[in-house]
Amino acid sequence: MKVELRKAGESILYSGEMIIMRDAAQKRLSAYEKCPLDLKGKIVFYAGPAKTFPGDAIGAIGPTTSARMDCYLEMLFKFGVCATVGKGRRSKIVADLCQFYHGVYLIAPSGCAAALSKCVIRHEVLLFEDLQSEAIQRIEVKDFPLVVAVDTNGSQLF
Amino acid sequence: MKNKIESMLKEMVKKAIIHANTQINEEIEPFIEQYNGPFSTVLKDNYHISRSTGLPLCQDTGMVEFFCYLGVDYRLKRPLQAILDEVVSEVYMSSPYRYSTVDDPLFERKNRMDNTPAIVHMISCSGNSLAIRFLIKGGGSENLSRLFMLSPSAAKEDVIDRVVEHIAEAGARSCPPLKVGIGLGGTSEKAMVLSKLALTSSIYTHHQDPRYASLEEEIRERINDLNIGFQGLGSSISCYSVHILTHPTHIATLPLAVSVDCYLCRTGIVIIEG
Repeated sequence: MKVELRKAGESILYSGEMIIMRDAAQKRLSAYEKCPLDLKGKIVFYAGPAKTFPGDAIGAIGPTTSARMDCYLEMLFKFGVCATVGKGRRSKIVADLCQFYHGVYLIAPSGCAAALSKCVIRHEVLLFEDLQSEAIQRIEVKDFPLVVAVDTNGSQLF
Repeated sequence: MKNKIESMLKEMVKKAIIHANTQINEEIEPFIEQYNGPFSTVLKDNYHISRSTGLPLCQDTGMVEFFCYLGVDYRLKRPLQAILDEVVSEVYMSSPYRYSTVDDPLFERKNRMDNTPAIVHMISCSGNSLAIRFLIKGGGSENLSRLFMLSPSAAKEDVIDRVVEHIAEAGARSCPPLKVGIGLGGTSEKAMVLSKLALTSSIYTHHQDPRYASLEEEIRERINDLNIGFQGLGSSISCYSVHILTHPTHIATLPLAVSVDCYLCRTGIVIIEG
């Protein structure tokens, strides 16, 4: 599924891979000249999951406020990221960056982390394990509900 | 005797924290049930899944903020701060919640791995009981906390405008519909604490002074006119309720503090008779 082809306002059920990272991991990545992991074509999900019940794929998981990470968006696009997922409206610069780098911004439903955890099939920690819930992680999801908030034309839902 | 009083207190508060993290607030449930805009199915599924599995309603299981009305004749052998730190640590270490606190706030920001400290506000009162109100406060809503030092000659309209402008600009970021707490008067920090304490109120309560009660309603209506909606997507209401707590203030000041709670309103009350 190419999320880049979707238009602002469209609802989708996404199945595939997402790379989880939030404030602390992006702050750390910003000190690297070359990204220590391959983010080309990846979707970054701004999240920090809770602990996992034994036997479950992952614990409660949901989007955090994207606007806090607007300052790192250009870095992610330069690393090859094609889309970001989070919650809430972002600054004007995000629409410009999405247009310039042909990226999109999608929102996931917030405050419903128990339900979203059931859409996650697989979960692993990739990097910065010491950051705990803020480590860079990889998940595979099935039918994960998203709405396109900013598309590659810079059109916005909010 | 010491252990009995303390262990009963700890068990009651633990149970209440787990309840607030996993059981939808019963005042709020009808609003979610009636909502049928974007993401409505997953929002409804969520609290059924939480209820049946014990997974938290939100991955941000917050910092726990306590407001403790401690009667002078209620005898504790240890500081309440130490007891509540233990309660938080024991609940968060034994539940599938998130450790959301870091030690040093600016430099290392290393996770404390037990979700302490509890944020504890003490209110000394007469009698031999202990009443505790608490908030499970996520970071997204906490980032909307604001203090405005208004002019002492400010009018009702200035208060309304300042609050509504702030929610218009940032309200969509903290998982609306919102409960809004307002502290008016006192000193700067007194107003902030009052605005938080106001968030522990039932959405059906009002200030006892009818002028403030009508101000609460006016602000609620103005926020709802913003059409922020559930999830900030423009459908249904934007604000459940507004609660103002007032306090005497200095002749030169009029502190106005605003705090908000997200659509889950994870709060609780524990009362222990001594």
